[in-house]
Amino acid sequence: MYFWYRNLDLVTLLLWAALTIIGLVAIYSATHGDAQDFLLETVSRNFYRQLLWVTICGVGLLLALLLPIRVYQRVAWLAYIVSVGFLVAALLVGREVGGAQSWIALGPFNLQSSELAKVGTLLAVANLFATQTIGTVRMWYVPLTTGLVMVPAVLIILQNDLGTALVYMVIIPILLFWSGLPLRIVFLIISPVITGYFAVVSWQLGVAFAVLMTGGMFWYTRNVKVGVVAVVLTAGTLATALFALNTVLESHQVARVVSFTNPGSEEFRSGVGFHLVQSKAAIGSGGFTGKGFMEGTQTQGRYVPEQSTDFIFSVIGEEFGFVGAIVVLVLYAVFLIRLVRLADRVKHPFGSMMAAGVAGIFLVHVFINIGMVVGLLPVIGIPLPFLSYGGSALLANTAMLGIVLGLDMRRNDFSIYALR
Amino acid sequence: MEHSRGTIFIATIIVALGILGAQLFWLQVWSEDQFEEISEGNAVRMVRMLPARGAIYDRHDSLLVDNKPTYTITLTPRYFDMTKTAYLATLLEVPDSVVTAKLNEARRWNPYRPSPSFRDIPFEIYGRIRENAFLLPGVGHEIAQGRRYVSAARGAHVLGYMREIDRGELAGFQKQGNALRYRQGDLTGKTGVERGYEKELRGAPGSAWRVVNVHGLDIKSYLGGEEDEPPLSGYDIHLAMDAGVQALAESLFVNKRGAAVAMDVVTGGIIALVSMPDFDPVIFTRTLDHDTWAYLNMRADKPIYNRATMNQMPPGSTWKPFIALMALQEGLIQPEGFNSTYLCPGHHPVGKGHIFRCLGAHGLIDVQQAIRHSCNTFFFELARRMDVNTFRDYANMFGFGIEAPTDIAEQTPGIIPDSAYFNAIDPYWGIGYTMNLGIGQGDMGVTPLQLVRYMAAVANGGVLHAPHLVDSLRNSETGETRFPDLPESVRVPVDARYFDIVREGMRMVMEEGTGRQAQIPGIPSGGKTGTAQVSSGRRDHSVFIMFAPFDDPKIALAVQCENAGDGFACAAPIASLMAERYLKGHLPNTPQTRFRMRRALMTTSEAMFDENSGDAE
Repeated sequence: MYFWYRNLDLVTLLLWAALTIIGLVAIYSATHGDAQDFLLETVSRNFYRQLLWVTICGVGLLLALLLPIRVYQRVAWLAYIVSVGFLVAALLVGREVGGAQSWIALGPFNLQSSELAKVGTLLAVANLFATQTIGTVRMWYVPLTTGLVMVPAVLIILQNDLGTALVYMVIIPILLFWSGLPLRIVFLIISPVITGYFAVVSWQLGVAFAVLMTGGMFWYTRNVKVGVVAVVLTAGTLATALFALNTVLESHQVARVVSFTNPGSEEFRSGVGFHLVQSKAAIGSGGFTGKGFMEGTQTQGRYVPEQSTDFIFSVIGEEFGFVGAIVVLVLYAVFLIRLVRLADRVKHPFGSMMAAGVAGIFLVHVFINIGMVVGLLPVIGIPLPFLSYGGSALLANTAMLGIVLGLDMRRNDFSIYALR
Repeated sequence: MEHSRGTIFIATIIVALGILGAQLFWLQVWSEDQFEEISEGNAVRMVRMLPARGAIYDRHDSLLVDNKPTYTITLTPRYFDMTKTAYLATLLEVPDSVVTAKLNEARRWNPYRPSPSFRDIPFEIYGRIRENAFLLPGVGHEIAQGRRYVSAARGAHVLGYMREIDRGELAGFQKQGNALRYRQGDLTGKTGVERGYEKELRGAPGSAWRVVNVHGLDIKSYLGGEEDEPPLSGYDIHLAMDAGVQALAESLFVNKRGAAVAMDVVTGGIIALVSMPDFDPVIFTRTLDHDTWAYLNMRADKPIYNRATMNQMPPGSTWKPFIALMALQEGLIQPEGFNSTYLCPGHHPVGKGHIFRCLGAHGLIDVQQAIRHSCNTFFFELARRMDVNTFRDYANMFGFGIEAPTDIAEQTPGIIPDSAYFNAIDPYWGIGYTMNLGIGQGDMGVTPLQLVRYMAAVANGGVLHAPHLVDSLRNSETGETRFPDLPESVRVPVDARYFDIVREGMRMVMEEGTGRQAQIPGIPSGGKTGTAQVSSGRRDHSVFIMFAPFDDPKIALAVQCENAGDGFACAAPIASLMAERYLKGHLPNTPQTRFRMRRALMTTSEAMFDENSGDAE
């Protein structure tokens, strides 16, 4: 006897629940305890608001599972247009929070348009690939995908939220990679990103990576054209980055970008480096087993700014130590690998691209967020999926997960013919 | 193809999260110590816990000094709601501008930390602000401990006073590696028992580790307090002082400069110690204003100066019993028979009758009668016969010219001349210098404390006690009792029978001589008046020593009134009333009491010209 949910990936659902609960625990610690009285009211209620959001998202997840797969494909473009409209509306009539004008008040809720727009954007891109025959490569998908993603990304840049826009841009190569684009082209696309990172850390590392990348590409393809493009891209990025850092950008902008390489130095410690000094101190002082729930001095003393949101991982690192942090990392790893396996398992391009895109978005979020909190990356204000406080992000992430789980559960319902 | 893409994706995930894991390992396991240091330096502060200072009791366990809370209102400008300025000013009963000024002052110091803006406010105002605290963000409170004086006896020079520790003292403690005990702004005993027993009264401060938040606000205890050290409470001090006698003596000293010390003849405990003019120690618990400070330090009669232990004045005729004891022991005069008398024609033959005069012509007179009549001629003769270095040795034996082994924090050794002293001032010195020493005049100075110590030794047959203010130290927390660390009493090498002769002479002084009017009704006693001449042409100092009861001495007293005339005029009634108050526990309302009171109160010290303020007081 088969039940309708017989194909539901229960492990992924349980991982979602585990991560969400860990998030609630960390948010509780960051907003309660003896220092609660010193917090602003808007922060001290975060735990209860998050609890409400988790409930809403749980219901939403169930609803997403109940919907037939055709619905998603049919509403994909509509969702995209609504998302873009939402972003435009936020620019025109939205509220500014933390420097980013991406918030729209909807009844009792404040929604962050840039988070919600991920769902629509991803649905649209996945739908674009729905017509692609498996195993074929169509090069015009490259500009089309780029275009589809860049429209919301540019709007988000206009909202003054470069970090979130970066996430959008980083998923382009991931989606193209999954769609079957030759690896050398994927490498060419991501090589400027890596070169840029090393250029910020130190120009010698940037040059070394550019040389290695170019040489590697040429050796791998034996193709002069690819080699030339690689040289142009890496050297160009290197030159642009160094030029920008040394000439174009104001010193405070440079400080924001490069401070993570040495946040404790005299010039950064009390300014842009403060986040990282405190965050690293919190995580480092947690040690192997941590200081215990509600016992972290950095957490309870509110030394790390944005503790319940972007820097939530520092709470886990301090209070639950290396063990706790690794448990969270392993949960994320299993969760992401599960999503990739799921993307592999769904043969229809729409479902497959959707699952891979979701996995890509989560990976980028997890890597950039934790990389920032542990001091490997510059401070880019993006949340940690399911752990950070933030209703819009949780809603968007859960919705994407729900769609993927729904598509996977009904993977046998897909028509073998592409929907036109 | 699809499968390999999945593998690459999974590999990417593992590599990416692996990098993060490696960084976590580096932060949390490899360099944990370094970050722990940063984090503790940030968030953990040690707060010092001061124990309550020991209380001070008198010999009947009645409370003299304990602690009272002092209330301070703090302002934290960062959290203060500026619209509440007027409201806070109303509660504090100050103009708005004062609150604004205090806020600005606090902001300059540190906008995030509570600054003690309104110190030592009355409890009513403090209570009013606490009640409305929820309306006043950024307004905090602190309760500190200050000294409270609860007795009618001031005992200013016994108890001493407390002030903020100064840089020199602080540096001294830090040099001893004792930095935790004291900090800038701490109160420390500056004089009296508060200074002498500072260590015992203070106890040992403990420490509490607290977590403070990013704004420096204390939020909770660190590690549940497992590294905290509780403070060790100090000792309560039980003085030998009798608060009733002390208060009486203080009240009798109005309009007089001088000192009175009463000592327990058996133990050497100080029953009362008065130095006048004095001050109210309460003034030091508040912020001292400029006028008060000027009053205490600039006045010619020096209220802070402890006359009882530091006033070096000639003892006058109270010196005669000492000379008698020395002469008897040295054989300069015999108690009876051959060489036991000397003829007093009203003057001593040395100086042709003009220099060494007596108060009357006493005829042929022996030691006892000489003491009774205070015959100068007789004691001039004894001084003529003595060697000045022997004199110095005997004086030192009785505690003169040297500092007493005592727990009183400040004293002077006095001046007792010897041959070296006279050689220094005049190479041609002769008996003209030394004969005056026989009647307690000339180049010598003794303190009231030394006089009472000597009086007690005479009274008890030659046991010289270490005078002490403190009877015992009791720790109310541990129940431990300690005693002041003082040397054993010593016996003066003078025959007991000579003491009997001298005491008998002193009894006659009280019954038939100059001390007649200072007798204690119903209690026989011994005493000796003294009138110390002052070279500057001012009135003489009035001096009196006494012990009582005669047969079983319990209390010895020495009283000095500066520029107040004869010994019987001022010093004797004060001493007598103090002794009666001590022995009877109260003063009966009799004509004799009223007579001595009137005597004591009506005599005043000749006004002292104040060089600083330019007017007479």
